[in-house]
Amino acid sequence: MCDTCGCPNPSHHTHDHDHTHSRTIDVHTSLFAANDALAKANREHFDDSGIVALNLISSPGSGKTTLLEHTIDALKNKISIGVIEGDIETEKDAERIRAKGVPVIQLTTGGACHLDATMTHKGFHRLEKEDGGKSIDLLFIENVGNLVCPSTFDLGEHERVVLVSVPEGPDKPAKYPKAFISSQTFVVTKTDLLPYFDFSVAEATGDALHLNPRLRTMDLSSTTGEGMDIWLNYLLELVDKMKKNGNRKL
Amino acid sequence: MHEISLVQGLFHQLEKLARENNGDKIISVTMEIGPLSGIVIDSFRFGFDVLSADNDLIRGAELIIEVPPATYTCVQCGHKETTSDSRPDKCIKCGDLFLIPTGGEDLILNRIEME
Ligand SMILES: Nc1nc2c(ncn2[C@@H]2O[C@H](COP(=O)(O)OP(=O)(O)OP(=O)(O)O)[C@@H](O)[C@H]2O)c(=O)[nH]1
Ligand SMILES: [Mg+2]
Ligand SMILES: [Zn+2]
Repeated sequence: MCDTCGCPNPSHHTHDHDHTHSRTIDVHTSLFAANDALAKANREHFDDSGIVALNLISSPGSGKTTLLEHTIDALKNKISIGVIEGDIETEKDAERIRAKGVPVIQLTTGGACHLDATMTHKGFHRLEKEDGGKSIDLLFIENVGNLVCPSTFDLGEHERVVLVSVPEGPDKPAKYPKAFISSQTFVVTKTDLLPYFDFSVAEATGDALHLNPRLRTMDLSSTTGEGMDIWLNYLLELVDKMKKNGNRKL
Repeated sequence: MHEISLVQGLFHQLEKLARENNGDKIISVTMEIGPLSGIVIDSFRFGFDVLSADNDLIRGAELIIEVPPATYTCVQCGHKETTSDSRPDKCIKCGDLFLIPTGGEDLILNRIEME
């Protein structure tokens, strides 16, 4: 390193000048810009196709796939559901959804801790080629199980749903604020386990609302069905609104 | 650790900017990382250090990080608190806990110095 100016390559210059060899370039571009532009294009594509798109975010194992399985059972005869599954490895979650008879594709990120708009774009076009993939009303995108990284990346969804299960504890909103600030809906899952855990639904939802007063909150158990009606109504209302708006923005 | 993939995206931009401006060495990179961007500054710095070690253009470059403020508006009394520190626990005017954040969400490449 050059002792005079700290330049790492002293062979490039002598010091009878005043650092004219280095130039400052003002760039001022967002590193999210490329992803955000593609996310916007995805959203417009969903709008044009009359599809409501939801991005599900939670820690690993909070019950996202299980909730989707039960949701499909309940709504299959009312609306057409499609699913994009995001995981680091394996087709397991897609196989569980496929068994329910709805179009699904699996995105494996090969190590990346989140989905992004590019992967979603490619995934959606693959989904369209699946049986029933051209007539979807409601698209679920199950993000990689991770409460941190996915919240930074817009996929082009209309709403983002963050889930926390009872065994994880009620402190998640306080510990992972970004996921709750960037979501529209917060679902506490596995409420059938409340008797066995020191989990206060009021504390968890209160903390989440503290971060994001506009958040819609609900709590449910996929296995007992408790609280599912509120979730299902929320989904049906979104689909209804999309249809009524004549495929314009939600 | 999405910071690593963001640093990779940054490096692609730096390589493109260097080509366009006939630069062959990046001296410093100035980033703006919003307090609500979801980016852990230490992780970003770590990713930058690790990846730049393998990159002839960027090796040894200084990473300068600026943290812009975010504004927190109290839903109760409307008071606006602007800070680049962590989120205030409550409204300093009325003590209400419900504050709506705006701004401070972006990750911006502001300036580069090269030769
Ligand atoms: N008791 C109880 N267990 C549940 C409930 N929902 C899911 N589980 C269990 O929780 C475990 C994880 O559920 P998944 O649906 O695979 O969770 P996930 O969020 O999709 O997991 P990843 O995709 O790996 O992030 C499984 O063993 C489920 O049976 C519920 O409502 N109550
Ligand atoms: Mg799953
Ligand atoms: Zn106030």
